[in-house]
Amino acid sequence: MPHDKSAVLPIAYVLLRILIIFNWLYGAAILGLLAFTFVNEPWFMRAIDVPPGTDAQPIMIGLRVIALLGILAVPLNHLILTRLLRMAETVGRGDPFVAANAYRLNAIAWALMALQLLSIVIGAIGKSIASKEFPLHLDAGFSVSGWLAVILTFVLARVFAEGTLMREDLEGTI
Amino acid sequence: MPISVKLDDLLHQRRMTLTELAEKIDITLANLSILKTGKARAIRFSTLEAICEVMNCQPGDLLEFVPGPSAD
Repeated sequence: MPHDKSAVLPIAYVLLRILIIFNWLYGAAILGLLAFTFVNEPWFMRAIDVPPGTDAQPIMIGLRVIALLGILAVPLNHLILTRLLRMAETVGRGDPFVAANAYRLNAIAWALMALQLLSIVIGAIGKSIASKEFPLHLDAGFSVSGWLAVILTFVLARVFAEGTLMREDLEGTI
Repeated sequence: MPISVKLDDLLHQRRMTLTELAEKIDITLANLSILKTGKARAIRFSTLEAICEVMNCQPGDLLEFVPGPSAD
C-alpha cells in the first residue's frame, strides 16, 4: 500500500528518534533524582510527603531501589527503540524480510521480558513500602497484556526467521 | 553440491547459446546463468519442463547426482 508507506514510515522514524532522546532524558532525570536523595534527604522526605512519626528509612531505601531499577530500564528501552528504528528503515528500503530483522525482533522480545520482570520487582517493592500512612500507587507489577506482548514478540521473531529462510529458498529457485 | 546441472554440456551438444535458451524459455539470462553455474537452490518443474521441451531432452540429461558433501 503506497499510501501507508508514504505516511506511516516517516512518522515512525521521527517518533522513534524522539522517543530515543526522551528515554535518555528520562534516565538522566531519574539519575538526578536518585543523586538528590543522597544530597538533600530531608527535603526529599518532605517532598514525597512522608508523614511524621513514620520510619522513613525503609521508604527511602525502597524508593532508591525503585529509581535504580528505573535507570536499568533505560538501556532496555534504548535497545527496543533502536532495533525498531532499524526495522522501520528496512521497511523503507523495501526489504524487511531479512535475517537481521528476525534477530532484532528476538532481542526486542528479550528486552520486553526483562522490562516485565523489572516491573514486577518494582511493583513488589512499592507494595512493601506502602502503608495506610504512606499510600504509594505505582503503575507497576504483573501485567497480562505486557506478558502477552512478550509472547507475541517471541512468536513473531520465530515467524520472521522462518519467513526469511523461505524467502531465501524462493530466491534461489529458478 | 551432490546435484550437478549439466546445462553447459547440453547447450554445447545442441549448438545453442545461453542467451538463445533464455529467450526461448522466457527466463532471464541472469537466472539461467545461476542455474548453469550450479548456484541455484532449487528448480521449478515449469523451468525443467521448458528446458526439456526446447532442448529435446529428459530431466536426467540436465541433472546428475554426484555423491559428495551437501551445500546445506
